[in-house]
Amino acid sequence: MLSSVGYCKILATVMPLFGKSQKSPTEVVRALKEAVNALERGDKKAEKAQEDVSKNLVLIKNMLYGTSDAEPQTDIIVAQLAQELYNSNLLLLLIQNLSRIDFEGKKDVAQVFNNILRRQIGTRSPTVEYICTKPEILFTLMRGYEHQEIALNCGTMLRECARYEALAKIMLYSDDFFNFFRYVEVSTFDIASDAFSTFKELLTRHKILCAEFLEVNYDKVFSHYQRLLNSENYVTRRQSLKLLGELLLDRHNFTVMTRYISNPDNLKLMMNMLKEKSRNIQFEAFHVFKVFVANPNKPKPILDILLRNQEKLVDFLTRFHTERSEDEQFNDEKAYLIKQIKELKPAAEH
Amino acid sequence: MEQDISGGEESNLNEDVATRAIFTDLEPATWVNDDDNGGLFFHRVESDQIIYQEKKKRCKIIGKYVMGDLLGEGSYGKVKELLDSETLCRRAVKILKKRKLRRIPNGEQNVAREIQLLKRLKHRNVISLVDVFYNDEKQKMYMVLEYCVGVLQDMLESTPRKKLPIWQAHGYFCQLVDGLEYLHSQGVIHKDIKPGNLLLSLDGTLKISDLGVAEMLDMFAKDDTCHTGQGSPAFQAPEIANGLEAFSGFKVDIWSSGVTLYNITTGQYPFEGDNIYRLYEKIGRGEFTIPEELEDELLRSLLKGMLIKDPNERFSIHQIRHHLWFMRKPPRSLEWVPVPPLRGNELHTMTVLPYLHQYHYRDEQSIPDEYEEELLFRNEDMSQRPASHLGGKNVVTGDWESCEGAHNGRKGVPTSGRKRWRRPRPYIGTKHFLQGCKPT
Repeated sequence: MLSSVGYCKILATVMPLFGKSQKSPTEVVRALKEAVNALERGDKKAEKAQEDVSKNLVLIKNMLYGTSDAEPQTDIIVAQLAQELYNSNLLLLLIQNLSRIDFEGKKDVAQVFNNILRRQIGTRSPTVEYICTKPEILFTLMRGYEHQEIALNCGTMLRECARYEALAKIMLYSDDFFNFFRYVEVSTFDIASDAFSTFKELLTRHKILCAEFLEVNYDKVFSHYQRLLNSENYVTRRQSLKLLGELLLDRHNFTVMTRYISNPDNLKLMMNMLKEKSRNIQFEAFHVFKVFVANPNKPKPILDILLRNQEKLVDFLTRFHTERSEDEQFNDEKAYLIKQIKELKPAAEH
Repeated sequence: MEQDISGGEESNLNEDVATRAIFTDLEPATWVNDDDNGGLFFHRVESDQIIYQEKKKRCKIIGKYVMGDLLGEGSYGKVKELLDSETLCRRAVKILKKRKLRRIPNGEQNVAREIQLLKRLKHRNVISLVDVFYNDEKQKMYMVLEYCVGVLQDMLESTPRKKLPIWQAHGYFCQLVDGLEYLHSQGVIHKDIKPGNLLLSLDGTLKISDLGVAEMLDMFAKDDTCHTGQGSPAFQAPEIANGLEAFSGFKVDIWSSGVTLYNITTGQYPFEGDNIYRLYEKIGRGEFTIPEELEDELLRSLLKGMLIKDPNERFSIHQIRHHLWFMRKPPRSLEWVPVPPLRGNELHTMTVLPYLHQYHYRDEQSIPDEYEEELLFRNEDMSQRPASHLGGKNVVTGDWESCEGAHNGRKGVPTSGRKRWRRPRPYIGTKHFLQGCKPT
């Protein structure tokens, strides 16, 4: 049971309906901004500022999501709130100071951010439009992966952003995107995994955008990607190899695939990965390797490598993962590859 | 096939409709009296052996799966609910009878292709195939699939005007586009998109199913050119209706998705005809109207974009995604249409439980049950015999198969009412009973 004082307190925070205790969106946003600024300055009132930040964040969250005994606020109030957030630039400020906010507060920031982001008016997404004009928000979020204490909060916000093509485009084409190649390898497993799922989302979600990006930035992306495939970290190696297979076998990336399988270095890498200690990596490598062999128009350097290793490859593939007798598709593909390699002939000289 | 145009059904049982999602070539005629040939033979039963008792829930276990109730039935066989006893996942199993498959044009081939395709596909909006196994003895194939509660088509038919509220249709359409984009990214052209092939899981996720007539492009094919189309007539694109030799596969799926969207939002079809020739004539001309009552200008423009006769002009998935109707979430207006209940069960609770309950807590009444089992197993013994003789090959030998053939021949006219001979339970055959019931 709640004491009457406690109950009133809750009423004041969740149901600001009575008289002076009601805070308008303008007031809450202003109060929050002041508190975050104080927190940023880090003066002696820091503790008070911390408390104010948390309190006002909860107020905003409850306006958007409602609580167990209150519905979310009306559209008009939410629209006002969103407008205040844009005008005050508070979203960026919150993200920049995320590490200074307490644990629950960090989660509240992510929840508020994601809710505001999803907001639609008719066919428009005002927050998406707003962030397009303030890409700094995205870059700050991406750099969040460098700070352990906020990495996962930033990750949830980033993936929400990545759902919108316009925002995904800004992220993909930013220099910060290439930091992901570093983030997916960090030693903290949960952060590396989170970064990888964001990375994958950015590279696969919007098919046409991704294909264009990969085509335009082919050299840069794949030289970075090479490092992932050679990573010391087993998980990175395996995940990136799997994603590579998915990217190459997606028809949207046809041009990228043809280019990738024309490079003899890539073939050599895959052949080495076929012989990796880990059977999982061998198996993933097989699914990339097969594309090189199945290519009906193999460039000469590729054909040369395959021919030089013809016997060894046939031998190797015949003994490759023989215990997968249940997997018909794999066995069909393997038989097809063996047949293809057996029948390889040097290209006629022109 | 023709019934797809009309939409209306003479479905006397709920379950019949449910299967239409899974079995495209469903013909009413094949449902009736079509269980097993075993029922044809007179079988002498001593009067003291007859037990007048209601059907017991007898637990049937195949491998690690516990069988539940029938979910649907079609020309290929039945669909039943399953419980994976190891993971406790609810599943559905499509039981395909070789004998029935052979009678369907390209039946075996389509199933083989569907299995091959489903094995390599993985997406939340495409039905996933969990397991496949065979029973050579019984000449059956079991496809274990994700469990789904219903078919979009059934939901449409459960409403008075055969359509869904716009906002609900929007949610399904977005998922359809997601699933379709994935299929196309994998080089798979579905070729038979329609409400009857869109299933819904318990949480309302749409699952594209029935890849029986789908085509997989070669990994190195330069474009998506296809040469054959064998989907449902009302959903075919003009280029197919006009009999073009080669056409863009992706654009054919866009067209049928457009017809689907038209259908679920208006309750009608953009093209209708008394017979397939008239229908194709109309589709071939590509002229259609959208009912006035569909006031949403954006939706009208999306439909027009997806149903452009010229495939080059027709929207791509990318264009659909960027269409304002697609991007906007329509306001919740009318009541949500729920998935129709299965045999009165609105919550779609697990049907395997009563069987398990009976299996583990059976009371004294289980004694007559034993008798019943024995009786059944004799029946089963008879019907199973020929299958094992044939050894899985497609050989029609004189005695057994010809009986069945005669039966089928007569069955062209659907008989009124459903005479259902209860399927016997599988048992390893014993010979002692057999001499007496060999047909002459």
